[in-house]
Parts: sequence; structure tokens; C-alpha cells
Amino acid sequence: MKPFGPDGIQQEPQPKEIMDWKKFFIAFVAAFGFLFLFGFLWYGMLMHGAHQEVPTLLRTKPDFPWLILGHIVMAFFLTMLCARFVPAGGAAGCAKLGILVALIYAGADLITFAVQPLTTKILCGWIAGDLIQFAIAGAIIGVIYKSSSPATH
Amino acid sequence: MKRFIFAFIAAFIFIFLWGWFYNGVLLKDVFAEAQSLFRPRKEMMSLFHWIVIGQAGLALAFVMIYASGFAGGGIAAGVRLGIMLEILAVGARCAIYATQPFPAKLLVLISIGGFIEMIVTGVIVGAIYRPAVARTS
Repeated sequence: MKPFGPDGIQQEPQPKEIMDWKKFFIAFVAAFGFLFLFGFLWYGMLMHGAHQEVPTLLRTKPDFPWLILGHIVMAFFLTMLCARFVPAGGAAGCAKLGILVALIYAGADLITFAVQPLTTKILCGWIAGDLIQFAIAGAIIGVIYKSSSPATH
Repeated sequence: MKRFIFAFIAAFIFIFLWGWFYNGVLLKDVFAEAQSLFRPRKEMMSLFHWIVIGQAGLALAFVMIYASGFAGGGIAAGVRLGIMLEILAVGARCAIYATQPFPAKLLVLISIGGFIEMIVTGVIVGAIYRPAVARTS
């Protein structure tokens, strides 16, 4: 993947690639495992105290089927984005894409902060969590998917 | 760079106007049903700048992703990117539904608006942003 930035220069077009679905599936499962574990540790454990400051905004117990489904969808489409965007794979390229995806989530977090009675501690925790989890998840996907992708450069 | 800035400004203006029209006008009554989960209107207005900053960040990230991997694909590529990003957001909304007592109807309606927002943003960015040099080999 060429460097990011609005330089107005188009990178070399990526040839049509045949997706390696086996590697894709492994990358997706790894991304799901990481996202779910990170979410549990970061949002469920580390931020537990911060979340307790706004108890009315949270369910007493998470609805696990929806939580799992949400993480499956996020992991699948993050893997899909990496496979389509960064066909050459690689931890760095996919981590950069993960960070850009996290910036979209960060924008949504700011909007949520403006409309819901969240604390700034929660806002900062969510944004930091988004950046870390999507950067690492992207890197994991890039490492796993890289080995099978045909060279494009 | 010029086209990047134009694409960003156009995307931001659309996201801002759509957000106001869809969430502030069309879904006003639906949001009112879950008033306990939101700040009072006066407090919300005092934090309005965060909404603007958040929407600008969203538009900027969208154009950066498009410019870094989809540019050259035109409107179709912009729409594809918009759909993929919105499905990611729907995943996050499932996690929100699991942890916050939002009415399902509200999240479904927000997601429908999100798809429209991201698809139109993709059309706008795909139509405006064109790479200056498109090497074909």
C-alpha cells in the first residue's frame, strides 16, 4: 500500500485478486478473537469504574448474543476492507487502515458525547480503545492475510 | 490536494445537513421516546461543537480511506466503501444494543439513516476526488 495522504497521486492500480478464502477466514477468526478479548479487557474491565459513573446508560448485564454478533460483523468487514484495500497485506498497511477506520468511530464517539450524558473520561477511553483495537486488529489481519496474497508490486 | 479538500468539504456539508434533517427532524419523536438516555436539549446545544468536530472527523477519515485505496474507482468505489464502513458501524451498534438500553427501533432507524448517509457520501467523494496522475501500468 502506498503512503497515506491527500497527495493527489494515485497509487498503482491493484490487479484483480482472487481472494484466498481460507486465509481470509483465519484472519477473520483471529480478528474476532482479538476484538472480543480486547473489548472485554478494555471496555469491560479497565473502564468498568468509568462506566459505573453513568449507570442509567448501561444494561445491568450485557446481552451477549448481540455483543458477539456485533464483534463478528466488525471483524468480518474489517478483514474484508483489509483484503480489498491492502491486497499485498502486511501489518503496517493494514494497521494504518485500522487507524483510519478507528477515526470514523472516534468521530461517532464525539457525536455520542454531545448527545448522551457521558463523562470526558469515558469519551477519552472509548477513543483510545478504538484506536488501539483497530490498529492491532488491522496488523493481525495484515500478518495473516499477507502470506497468501499474490505480490502486487 | 485541492480535490481532496473539495471532497472533504462537500462530504462534511452533506453529513452535517443529513444528520440535522434525519436525526433532528425526521427521527425527533423517536429520539424523544428514549429521552432518558440523552442530554437535555439545552445541554446538548452547549456541546454542539463536538457534533461538528465529530462529523468533520468522520468526513475526513472517509476521504482519507478513499484516497488511499479506492481512488480511481469513481462513484461505484465510493459507494462500495460507504456500504462497508456502514456495515462496520452496524456491528458497533449491535454491541451498543448489547450494553445500553436503547430501543431496537431507534438503532434500526439510525442504521437505515447511516446507510443513506454513507452511500451518498461515497457518491460525493467518488465524484469529486480524482487522482491527479493515474498510472495504468
